[in-house]
Amino acid sequence: MKAIIASAAAALTFLSATAQAQEYPFRDITTAVVWGAGGGTDSINRMIMAEMEKHLPVSINVINQTGGVAGSNGMVYVQNQPDDGYTLVGLSESNVTAAVQGGWDQKFDFWYPFIVGGSPDLISVPADSPYNTLEELVDAAKAAPGTIPAAASGAGSIHHLNLLAIENGAGATFKFIPYEGSAAGQEAAMAGEVALVVTSLAEQAPLIEGGKLKPLAMLTPDAAEFNGSTIPSAFDIYDGLDQYLPLKQAIGFAVHESASDEVKAALTDAFDKAIASDTVAAWAAANNYDVGGQSGEEAQALFSKLESTFAYTLQELGATSVDPMSLGIEKP
Amino acid sequence: MEFALTQLAGFGGAFWDLITDPVAYVYIVVSVFLGIVFGALPGLTATLAVTILTGFFGNKIPLDYSLIALLGAYVGAIYGGSYPSILLNIPGTAASAATAMDGHPLAKAGRGAEALGLTTTASFIGTLIGTFALLIFVWLLLLISQSIASPEKALLALFGILLSGTLMSEDIVVKGWIAGLAGLAMAMVGLDPLLSEPRYTFGWSYLFSGFQVVPVLMGAFAVPQIIDGLRHMDMGQIISLKGRILPNLPVIRRHMPTIARSGVIGTGVGALPGVGEDVAGWVSYGVGKSVSSDGKNFGKGSMEGLLSSETANNACIGGALIPLLVLGIPGSPPAAALMGAFKLNNIIPGPTIDPAIILRVVAIMVLASFTMFLMGLFTARIFIQILRIPQTVFLPVVMVLTTIGSFSVGGGINDLYLMLGVGAVAYFMNLMKYPIAPLVIGVILGGLFDETFRRSLLLSDGDLSVFVSRPGAAILLTLNIALTLSQAPVVKRGFAKIRGT
Repeated sequence: MKAIIASAAAALTFLSATAQAQEYPFRDITTAVVWGAGGGTDSINRMIMAEMEKHLPVSINVINQTGGVAGSNGMVYVQNQPDDGYTLVGLSESNVTAAVQGGWDQKFDFWYPFIVGGSPDLISVPADSPYNTLEELVDAAKAAPGTIPAAASGAGSIHHLNLLAIENGAGATFKFIPYEGSAAGQEAAMAGEVALVVTSLAEQAPLIEGGKLKPLAMLTPDAAEFNGSTIPSAFDIYDGLDQYLPLKQAIGFAVHESASDEVKAALTDAFDKAIASDTVAAWAAANNYDVGGQSGEEAQALFSKLESTFAYTLQELGATSVDPMSLGIEKP
Repeated sequence: MEFALTQLAGFGGAFWDLITDPVAYVYIVVSVFLGIVFGALPGLTATLAVTILTGFFGNKIPLDYSLIALLGAYVGAIYGGSYPSILLNIPGTAASAATAMDGHPLAKAGRGAEALGLTTTASFIGTLIGTFALLIFVWLLLLISQSIASPEKALLALFGILLSGTLMSEDIVVKGWIAGLAGLAMAMVGLDPLLSEPRYTFGWSYLFSGFQVVPVLMGAFAVPQIIDGLRHMDMGQIISLKGRILPNLPVIRRHMPTIARSGVIGTGVGALPGVGEDVAGWVSYGVGKSVSSDGKNFGKGSMEGLLSSETANNACIGGALIPLLVLGIPGSPPAAALMGAFKLNNIIPGPTIDPAIILRVVAIMVLASFTMFLMGLFTARIFIQILRIPQTVFLPVVMVLTTIGSFSVGGGINDLYLMLGVGAVAYFMNLMKYPIAPLVIGVILGGLFDETFRRSLLLSDGDLSVFVSRPGAAILLTLNIALTLSQAPVVKRGFAKIRGT
């Protein structure tokens, strides 16, 4: 009996040794998305993984591991998996606050990220609003500081940070009203509960097309062509906005930074080919996303900028439970 | 009129897409069958069927198909409850309790097959009435809901919790309110929606995202149900059927006014937040008893009585979906499970909901009712055989399914601890005759109430008058106060005096 067990164990060791010698990837990859099914991060991951599969000899399964603070549940789950490149994490810029909010204890450079893209933020008003340009709105806010209600999703979200940035850049103060999720903020603008809303173009697109919202300005350096008209860039209206903006969504996935170079190279190769495909371009155009395509150090630099902006903004708002300094996050 | 025609055209398109999709049939047949089985087995309920399927399918297959599975099971289960009501005098689900009143006497008189034929037809017509109301009213209400702002939403959420507590309580009403408010308190756990401050999390990061809906649903509805079922295992004698189960068309035609009236009552009760099929069945039965010329025979095997409850409980489904799709307020306990599925898929009910989802829901309801009707006529014998399975066999299986479903929605092992914790609390609440449904409605609507109430004050700079200065809010506030006062001893005595004289 003992002999059988010993030889079985030996066989297993042998098997796993040959397995390790095989080139990555030789078995299926799992991507755990930290946000719920049907959301932006989820659909982008399902799209890009399907495209990357074409350039890899294995399949990629996408699952959702939601919950915790700022998606910490899913990140901790992947953190605890081996760093062999068989478990990836699907994430977005909103996850950079997990550490300062006490969800986990790692700086974001724990990950080696790949950015598929994001949808640019813009500032819009209800269709029947008296304001027709960003200047009119800002002038009104300057005349009565802190009285014009402005919707953005929760305190410390990317859209809230964009609202703060335009306030700083244009020298106006609004009355920030947080909403859970972008849809609720947009509905509030439609109902006339707030005078303006800052969310992404992808989220506002159907409402602008339906004539429910009137877009005033893009919070990105370039103007946008949408629905047959041009939405001007706030950068052309106010000088010095580039100090604060753009703060753009960064949606994609990541592997452990500690993964081997071979794993990173194989993933980067498949990612680059997928990003260059027509499918991704068509998907981005149809859903009003900008394609990113950054990976590795370049992507880490972008996330690190987002991380420090988010962390110190949240600290100012008093919404952090961990001092960003103690995590080694530098001031922006 | 033109509006109704565009809606029907939209529905036609969605229905065509559905019936030309072969995959849809697999889901609809399996789910309706499963639903009827769940409904027919005493101890398993419609809420349980929809909840378990939410765990299994909620975020694993495309929403288009998971909706088929959930709605199919919902329609099937509400109908399936009539089998044991008629044949055993034990309602398969609470929704069919009123059905037993007249169904069982009919079966004892040897007219069981006839009774089942009638309930099958009544359930079918009832579902269609509710669905038609859904198709028409959901759009009108969506238009209105565009102008509903935070103060109205807050008061509406509170009204939903209180109303569910009032109508779902078997014992004194205050117990229902206590359950509802306990649910509301549970909804406070987690990062608060406005300022991202952690509340009642005790530093445990799992709790930062609050109590997840699916484990709470599983714990609240499944666990006490299963324990209870295992404790009371006495089964009566099944009355065997003579003859075929056929829709008796002349009888149906003769009782069309009853069916129409019951359908309207069922839909209306369904549209009330958190008030489900059982109340619909009883209310319709009660109304039938007082207005029908056959009223004195109710409870002795009256066709009218049977049709009253069985049409209404199925019509209730369409009604319950109306507030769910318009406001995210579930109209019944199974609709609360559907809300869980919407949350898993990031579908936010309200004025910006994708109209295609609504049309899809309506199309699925129609297909489900036809499937249910055909199964009821042709495979009823199978369901009667299933009634013979002892509870000690299927309840443990259901417990395993519940656990898998709860685990598989993605929150990890902590979801199971939450499910068991909520289950234990719910079991003892059940023993003490506290209703469970208001608790769950409280958990679902509590977050909405918290967020919108505080946001109203944020917008008004802390001025409470926003709740009276807006006409909609003032009406809702009055309703809330009236509902609360209706249970005050002084008012109750007053009513008793008026009734007495």
